[in-house]
Amino acid sequence: MVDAGLLDATVQGLITGSIIAGGALGLSLIYNIAEVPNFAHGDMITIGAYLALVFNNPGEIPFLPAFGSAPLVAAAVVGVVLAGVLGATYELTIFRKFRKRDADIITMVIVSLGLALVLRNVVLFLVGSKNIRYQSASVSNTNFDFLVTGGGMTVTTTQRQAGEVVTTGQWGYPWWLLVGGLLVAAAVGYGVYRAYRREEGFDTVYLVPPKILGFTVAAATVIGLGAFVQLAPQGTDPIVATRIGLSIKHLTIIGVVLAAMFVLNVALKTTKLGRAMRATADNMDLAEVRGVDADRVQLLVWVIASMLAALAGVLTGWFATNLTPNMGFTLLLPIFAAVILGGISSPYGAVAGAMIIGVSMDVSVYLLPSHFATYRVAVAFLILIAVLMVKPEGLWGDV
Amino acid sequence: MAVADFLITLVTFIAIYSLFGIGLNLKFGFTGLIDFGHVAYFMVGAYVTVVLTLPADAPTYGGIGGFDLPGLFAALGPLGSLFGWVLGVLGGMIAAALVSLAVGVPTLRLREDYLAITALGIATILNTVVKDEDWLFNGPYGISGVHKPLVDVFPISLGSFTVNMAVFGLLSVAIFGYVAYWLVNRFRDAGRTGRILMVASVGLVSVWYFVMPVVDGGGTVELTKNVLWLFDPTAGPNGGLDYDRFVLLLSLGFLAGGYHWVERTINSPYGRVLRAIREDEDVPQALGKETFQYKMQALMFGSALAGAAGALWAVNIGFVSPDQFASTITFFAFTAVIIGGTANNKGVILGTAVFWAIRNGTRFIDVPSQYSIQLAAARLILIGVILMVILYYRPEGLLGEQDYDIDLPTSLRGGSDDV
Repeated sequence: MVDAGLLDATVQGLITGSIIAGGALGLSLIYNIAEVPNFAHGDMITIGAYLALVFNNPGEIPFLPAFGSAPLVAAAVVGVVLAGVLGATYELTIFRKFRKRDADIITMVIVSLGLALVLRNVVLFLVGSKNIRYQSASVSNTNFDFLVTGGGMTVTTTQRQAGEVVTTGQWGYPWWLLVGGLLVAAAVGYGVYRAYRREEGFDTVYLVPPKILGFTVAAATVIGLGAFVQLAPQGTDPIVATRIGLSIKHLTIIGVVLAAMFVLNVALKTTKLGRAMRATADNMDLAEVRGVDADRVQLLVWVIASMLAALAGVLTGWFATNLTPNMGFTLLLPIFAAVILGGISSPYGAVAGAMIIGVSMDVSVYLLPSHFATYRVAVAFLILIAVLMVKPEGLWGDV
Repeated sequence: MAVADFLITLVTFIAIYSLFGIGLNLKFGFTGLIDFGHVAYFMVGAYVTVVLTLPADAPTYGGIGGFDLPGLFAALGPLGSLFGWVLGVLGGMIAAALVSLAVGVPTLRLREDYLAITALGIATILNTVVKDEDWLFNGPYGISGVHKPLVDVFPISLGSFTVNMAVFGLLSVAIFGYVAYWLVNRFRDAGRTGRILMVASVGLVSVWYFVMPVVDGGGTVELTKNVLWLFDPTAGPNGGLDYDRFVLLLSLGFLAGGYHWVERTINSPYGRVLRAIREDEDVPQALGKETFQYKMQALMFGSALAGAAGALWAVNIGFVSPDQFASTITFFAFTAVIIGGTANNKGVILGTAVFWAIRNGTRFIDVPSQYSIQLAAARLILIGVILMVILYYRPEGLLGEQDYDIDLPTSLRGGSDDV
């Protein structure tokens, strides 16, 4: 039996971080472009999760007939689209009016607080406070045991099937492959970085910053080599051993959030509207002078952010296996911490902040005595406060 | 439940939350600090006071303390133990101020929106600490058997039933008379819409309070109870002033003290600096004021008031647990302050009254018990909508910013900062 260790806590932290990142992406857009520190964002996450529930599991909602259940993916798509419509409603009925009155940031905070109160209680009013689940196929964890032995590394995968722990695979990497693979990955990553980097200029806009691209390619090389070059096991007598528990669910969550980040990034950097959004974020008056329709940009921001929030909501509900009217609000603090930590100006910053928050939450729970498990959010906050004391504008801040 | 009893509970609530709101108003309304963690000081005040006044061997309590301050002075009679309780409240207020000092040092230098978020985070963390550390304040089980000052003295009876009824009844009627006098004066000053609003609301409330009990079939007994509200015929052998009514008077007394204290502060030159910081921090800084110290002092002062409100809350409920101090309480206080009028202490009391009247008054709506969640949710939806509507149509609140005693250079009479 191999114990889950620091590595597992880190991986769990990345998954937690992905869920936080889903919310942080949308919040950073609203914070940066609409200049609303949106305290309703947590409840927009809740709304999104329940919108998908309407199509996935309508029998659980008191006033709805059980009209059958759509698969979670389809329900999520419909829910996300509907959330976008709601986002337009918030902008048109509330935030646009306040912006026309030049409301200051404090007023916006309190307006969003009022909206949060309304949204949470609408869910409570319609659905009640009981815990509800999505109808989805149950996914079983696969445990990857990594055993570092004298000859290299052995990987054993086990899975619980019908109550029995079954070994589903065993393979290994000798030392030369481990070292060589890492070197190759580092070389490939650095090569991509060098090839992609251009002369820094006034108008240099990278679709993906070279450092991030190089690092991603290196990581992908390691994972690719590990997945495809599986040699004979290198013994089962470990010097060091650790276990990581993963499932398709976890990978899907990470994948969906990274994809959302990438799509948002491409949209912001290559489309005309995206450029208009970035210009508005920079200086709304100047953007308007150059012919940017600020109202349209703000509308779009709220729609996109609501859709991202709904996506995060569905992922949270699916990951935590139940939905409660408070699910979003409990996520709000880590999301804010992530956005401020990453600096409110870029989607990459938000995701990086979310990953830092997520990993530090789960790793600290692993490192601290079990009594401290309830202080996960506190850890996120202590990090935020510590960073703000040193750098009041956030790690990649713009202020 | 008699309407009078409900009203006493409601007004006690309003008095306690008004004191809490006045503390918030000093921070948010007058100094411009968005402290979303205000409830933390409410909690600290409540817990520290309770622990300072709790007997040492309190059953079912496993936290630190039980310092029994009232017991220490019990030899001096009931007034001695009251003095012990007051010392406990002072301890709670000082503790709240010190906690806010520790919170303020790192956070007050931040941008205003970051301050709001970190304050909210710290309040949540403090709540988690109190909930999870059993050794500190008994964790999630809370503390029951809170010391209630002078509880043994009550009900106060002055002699026979008739004497009690006459004295307390007259007092009650006198208070009604004063309220009526005050209302008439207000009515004279009010504009046309104000008059219509006043007639409508006062009329409705009086019909509900004085006429409904008769129509409902409660007859004269209910009506007497409502009119002579200070007199409780069922308390003790001869009737008298019972403890709930004492807590009401105590809370009103604390509210009056806190109100007076804050009024004096903001009307002084010191308060003018606080208001200048709210408007533009660079200006007082350019005039040589250490604005950070002023902000810190305002934060500590407001937190101390929240701590006093917490001590009263503990006496009123008789039981404290971490769940009572969720961040929603802060948001409710913000709502109350904004409804009544930011930077207006009278407005805070009005806003708190409106808020809690909506929140607790709706319990008279009869709904089947399975819909009680829906009713609670509908109330909060209504409050959220009111908050947004007020912010849009009347951002200065119902009463607007208050007038100050200090003349502004351009005006002859006391003026508002809005001039």
